[in-house]
Amino acid sequence: MVEILDGLPVAVDAMGGDRAPVEIVTGARQAAQELGIPVLLVGDPAYLSTLAPQPGVDILAASEVIGMDEDPGRAVRVKRDSSLVRCAEAVREGRACAMVSAGNTGAAMASALLRIGRLPGVSRPAIATVIPVPGSTPTILIDSGANVDCTAPMLVQFAQMGWALATERFGIREPRVGVLSIGEEATKGNALVKEAHVLLEGGAAGPDVHFIGNVEGRDVMSDRVDVVVTDGFTGNVVLKTLEGGVKAVVGGVLSALTADAAIKEAAKAVLPALTPLANELDPDTYGGAVLLGVEGVCVISHGSSGARAILNAVKVAHHAAADKLVARIEAVIASGRA
Amino acid sequence: MVVATGEQDGAFGRPQVLELVRGSLADILEVGPDTIAEGASFTDLGADSLALIELVEALEKDLGGRFAGFRIDDEDLEDLKTVRDAVDYVVSKTGTSS
Repeated sequence: MVEILDGLPVAVDAMGGDRAPVEIVTGARQAAQELGIPVLLVGDPAYLSTLAPQPGVDILAASEVIGMDEDPGRAVRVKRDSSLVRCAEAVREGRACAMVSAGNTGAAMASALLRIGRLPGVSRPAIATVIPVPGSTPTILIDSGANVDCTAPMLVQFAQMGWALATERFGIREPRVGVLSIGEEATKGNALVKEAHVLLEGGAAGPDVHFIGNVEGRDVMSDRVDVVVTDGFTGNVVLKTLEGGVKAVVGGVLSALTADAAIKEAAKAVLPALTPLANELDPDTYGGAVLLGVEGVCVISHGSSGARAILNAVKVAHHAAADKLVARIEAVIASGRA
Repeated sequence: MVVATGEQDGAFGRPQVLELVRGSLADILEVGPDTIAEGASFTDLGADSLALIELVEALEKDLGGRFAGFRIDDEDLEDLKTVRDAVDYVVSKTGTSS
């Protein structure tokens, strides 16, 4: 396992993302300045060397960039001097405590998997995404896109890894874990869900993981469950549906509140109260998803991430490394029998 | 060009290549080597594209010491559908005796 040493920076892929490098670099530098978290900017030396020196900000040169539309596995093998690959290697070699990228999601996964390595005992790494729940602790959705085809034992491991993240990230002592289905009854769902339910009900995830049974789509943004387990195909559909739905509702409310001059004037009294809610629902607040099941911390931010999202991603990555998220996952995987 | 380095002792033929492929795949998929049949397809074994890349890197690492310059071309990956395909590919590429 990669040892987390005090003072190690978070490696940030300066070249990954739709708004790279400017927004990425700005967010990383803000993290160093405002949060005191050291960062290692990885990317084009010609650009990075033009930046004003700043305490807590170091540079690692990488001459190549993996594009958003490149084949992940092939790109990681061919572009060995890419910013993404160099980020992962910095974690593996103990030069960084964690990595953050807003670039090609598949390539970020492949870089972490191939260059940092898979945790012993973990069948497949999975992506865990934080889903905001207004007025309550967020829900963790796992897998939100890494594995489109899954087996029931894989879902058991997702439950374990999601549980570990819920304890680390939100300090929940006994996270409630549910399997996403089309009904609460154990008899509801497809073959995968039914088999996973039986395994989890039988304690396959170990003594610590508190399985509450099946949950439904409407529960994801409620305080009924802390970790929602599903396959990567369904999880990604759920994630994109929620993103689109929330965006449509927020847009609709804003349109209604600005429909005419009188309403706009009246809305001035309401808008301050809505601002915290808007922040809570904004994905940038959470920085990005976490790839679980590799021997290091890897935060994958949205491709459209701006400076604020990257700042928060660095914060999340550093927190996970300091809180020994990987060791927690290793321990809970060892305690199960999936 | 792939060249046998002669650094390793002992016979190394098709059975050893099969054992190596099965062992590597078993490690990656977290299953027992005995559950991996030679005729099984990677899809049926649950090996996704990233698992195959893991396999490729593992084989290159393991075989690199015995056959200098051994590398599995990315263009050839699409043709490797089964465990047998992978074994045949390595045997052919390294000139290992069948």
